[in-house]
Parts: sequence; C-alpha cells; structure tokens
Amino acid sequence: MSKTPYAELLSMLSRHRGVVGSFVVSERDGLAVDSNVQIGVHAEAVAALAASLHRKARLACGAAGCGVVTFLRLDAEKGGICAAGRDDLVLVTISEARANIGLLRVEMMRAAKALT
Amino acid sequence: MPDEIRRLSDDLARDPSSLVFMPLADALRRAGQLDVALRVALRGLDRHPYLPDAHDVLARIHADRGDLERASDEWEMALRLDPSHAHANLGLGFVEFRRGDLESAERRLSTVPPADHTPGVAAALAHVRSALGARTTNGVAVMVPEPQVVAPTPVAPAETTPHSTVSVPEFPSPDPSRTKQLFDSALDASDQHALLVDGDGLVLAGAYIDGSGKDVGEVIAAELAGVSSEAERAMRHLGLGAWTSLLVEADEAIVAMTPAPNGSLLVVTASRKTPVGLVRLLLDRVLARARDWLVRVS
Repeated sequence: MSKTPYAELLSMLSRHRGVVGSFVVSERDGLAVDSNVQIGVHAEAVAALAASLHRKARLACGAAGCGVVTFLRLDAEKGGICAAGRDDLVLVTISEARANIGLLRVEMMRAAKALT
Repeated sequence: MPDEIRRLSDDLARDPSSLVFMPLADALRRAGQLDVALRVALRGLDRHPYLPDAHDVLARIHADRGDLERASDEWEMALRLDPSHAHANLGLGFVEFRRGDLESAERRLSTVPPADHTPGVAAALAHVRSALGARTTNGVAVMVPEPQVVAPTPVAPAETTPHSTVSVPEFPSPDPSRTKQLFDSALDASDQHALLVDGDGLVLAGAYIDGSGKDVGEVIAAELAGVSSEAERAMRHLGLGAWTSLLVEADEAIVAMTPAPNGSLLVVTASRKTPVGLVRLLLDRVLARARDWLVRVS
C-alpha cells in the first residue's frame, strides 16, 4: 500500500505494546485506506468487519439517542479490536491481551479527531 | 453508634476516595438508615468497583431492604472478584436458605474452608443442617429460623430483615408485560437499561426507554442483528479466541454487549457519567440474570 497522510499515525499506534496492526478504513465500503500490520494479519477482512461493527454500533446508538460513537472496543479471549471514528473514516487497531488498552484508547480518540 | 457514624462521615469527607465508605455504609445500615447507607455504598463503588468487600456491604444493605435478588447479585459479584470470599458465600447461603433451598445452602456453606470460617459460617452451617434434619423428620415446610445465625458477620443482613416463610418466586414468567422488567432489579439506576436480543435481532427480554419515555428496544435490537456473528468472524480471522464483550462509548451513553446463551446477545446501556469499568461489572451481573432466565423459559 502506498504512503498516505495516515502512515505516521498508524506507525505510532503500531508501536504500542501488544498492538499487531492498525488501519484507517472507510466505514461506508469497508475498504482499508491505509494499514500498518504485522505479517500474518488478514488486514482486508478484519478492516471490513471492523468497519461493519462500527457502522452497526453507530446506527444502534443513533436509534437509542446515545449520540455519536467515540470509541468501540471488542474484547476476545486473547486480545481484541479497538476503533475510533470520524465521519466516514474509522481508525482501527488490533491488539493482544498484553496491550495497555487505556493508553491506546486515549491515543486513538485523540488521533481520530485529526482524521479527514 | 451516632458517634461512630459521625467520625466515619468526617473521615470520608476529608478523603472521599478512601475506603472508609465501607464501614460507614455498614454502620448506617446497622443504624437502620438504609437509604443513606445505599447511597454511600453506591458512591463508593463508583470509585472502587473491583472491591469484593464493597459489594459485600452493598449486598447486606439490599438484604436489609428486603431485596434478596439484588443482594444475591452483589454477593455473586464479590465471589467473582474473590472466589474465596467467606462473607459472600455466607450471604448467598443465607439467600438460598431464605428461598428454602436448604441443600444448596448446606453445600455452599460446607465449601468455605475451615481457615476462613467466621463464627457465623459454623453457626449457619449447623442451623441449616438442623433445619434439613427437621424437614426430613417432619416432611413439612420449614420456617425461617433465627436469621442472625445465617447472615454474614460482622453484622448479619437479616438482623433487620423480617421473618418470612420460605417461598420466593425468583424471576418473572415469560409473560411479555413482565419480561420487560426482567433486568430492573439487576440495574443500579434509572438511566441504565438492559436488553436480551435473539440471533435474528428480536427482543427476548428487557426494555430501552428513550428520553421521551418510548420503548425503542425493538429498533435497537434490529440494528444490532448480526453483531455476534460479525464479532465472531473478526476474531476468527485474527485467531484471538471467542469474543467476550463489545463496549461502545458514545457522547451520551456507554453501550456494552456480550454473547448470551442460545445465540442471543445481551445489551446494557448506562449514562456517560457511569465509569466504564462499572458498566462491565453491570454487564456480568445482568448476564447472570439472563442465563438463569433462559434456562427457565427454554
């Protein structure tokens, strides 16, 4: 994937402990705009699924009158996915269980504000 | 007692983040000021949601208020945080006893290691066994015995709970008008809601009342249809194991979801002022209720 304005941001997120990949993905079509992932991560498939989850969460929150989604976290037995969106773009990270989610959350929410 | 409450209140006022809220809430409970005790305990748990002793204190307050379901939820939470919590085992044994489930009470109290035995555990066990013996002998329903024997030390929740016969209908039947309230007693505030949604996006139980007082549970359930399968697929692609929870933070609320039995999805929402960690604990508590209910209606 060629270098985009998000390369620096994704590189910074991928340096966090336990983070094995990060993407900027379009929520509308689930296509990755840019990514920084370790070998073996199914970047395209995960980007599409993360975008779809973000979309569902956004629609459900809209229906419930909860306002705009600022952060999403999917936990699993051995790690998880975090997502923070702005307009159509969603910043996604994949992390192992040893990641510091609190720190990652703060960085992602800050970074998402700069997505354009 | 008033001196003790005054002293503990002063201590808490000096340092609101201290753990003195626990003895203060318990002292208020013993003094019969249950509403104040409840407020103090809940406020303390906002700051310290992972303290098993704090859940134990809250459980006793609920028990004194006659709300055995909530008391049971809190003692279960204490046990999840500390599986060897003797007072929580004692409390749950007490609830089981009050519900007439003497066998479960006996089994639970027997599992408390002798090293953790407070005087209350030994006495409670003796009392339960005696009641079991009486039931076997007479073949009739047993009246609740002197409750302070069974309730947790240092102060038994039943000291102020009234005596009653052993028959407590635990959960609502599948009657639609009651299933909407299934989770009410497991939630802490009016701005918290819980919904149990099946794999097709249909509401099984619970409700979500929006700001205008309208139940929008069905709309939310429909929007969330397929979340379980997508979460599962994402985790399979990543090899991270089964998904355990999905937490969504929005401007006005926090929404937490977790897979529930029979392919269903449990959704809990709380206002934005609720600490994120507390929402996860709330999700665990509501999930326990959902599991029980699904077993009963399946």
